[in-house]
Amino acid sequence: MADPRGQFQHGYTCQEVVELASEYLEGVMTPVQRTEFELHLNFCDGCFNFVEQVRTTVATAGSVSEEDIPDGVRAQLLEAFRDWGRG
Amino acid sequence: MNVGQDADLVARLRAGDEQAFEEIVTAFYPAMAAVARGYVRVRSVADEVVQEAWVGVLNGLDRFEGRSALRTWVLAIVANIARDRAVRESRSLPFASLGDGDPAVDPARFSAVGEPYPGGWKSFPSDWRALPEARLLARETIDVVGRAIDALPEPQRVVITLRDVEGWSADEVCDALDLTPGNQRVLLHRARASVRTRLERHLDG
Repeated sequence: MADPRGQFQHGYTCQEVVELASEYLEGVMTPVQRTEFELHLNFCDGCFNFVEQVRTTVATAGSVSEEDIPDGVRAQLLEAFRDWGRG
Repeated sequence: MNVGQDADLVARLRAGDEQAFEEIVTAFYPAMAAVARGYVRVRSVADEVVQEAWVGVLNGLDRFEGRSALRTWVLAIVANIARDRAVRESRSLPFASLGDGDPAVDPARFSAVGEPYPGGWKSFPSDWRALPEARLLARETIDVVGRAIDALPEPQRVVITLRDVEGWSADEVCDALDLTPGNQRVLLHRARASVRTRLERHLDG
């Protein structure tokens, strides 16, 4: 039977996998792409680790503190809100 | 914050509830500042943009119909004001044009054509799951990521800040910044790739 995956029949190279990692993590791959991608991760420790590293990067970014509201700005905004309420 | 919570919050704001206002200032200010600084680099001007946006939010609140999430609507107001300001100061950041991207990983780490396994890793990235958890959660590690994000080109910095620091969805970011899903993803991909590289240097170096 002919391989319906055409150009993907030899699978992705590692260099292709790293460029596709976001599409994989964002869940926007076609089922065929996803299967091919996960097949690669199954036999490639390097790429498996790479994808895990991206996941860790995302998780760590979630711990980065958000920007603080500058001093005085909160009070100014509240004042504007009071004015708005009176307006 | 879901739509039901939004409706409740908007009702309280319209009624002049200061507690509700404090809540949205706390919840939205960091994202608003990130977006403003994505378009206008000068910190003081970006702060003005955020202030102006709050005026826009208050003025528009009575007309807010809840067709989009409140925070998406707020962010779109900041983005519009910031874009206008950037155009006036004739340094609009080309959010829509992606420019040339570096590869996610240094090509030197892969075998070249003609070598065995072209496009394959020469040496594998390491398994960070084997690291002590305390190392990954250390203040120092988080600071490395924070500095790496700060150093990114603006559009990438804004997208990764909203997505991964603030936890917004892809759809929300596309709506607020008027990006196509494809462009949003490319910016996020490049941003995460750069930050991962910096983190790798820190953890494995």
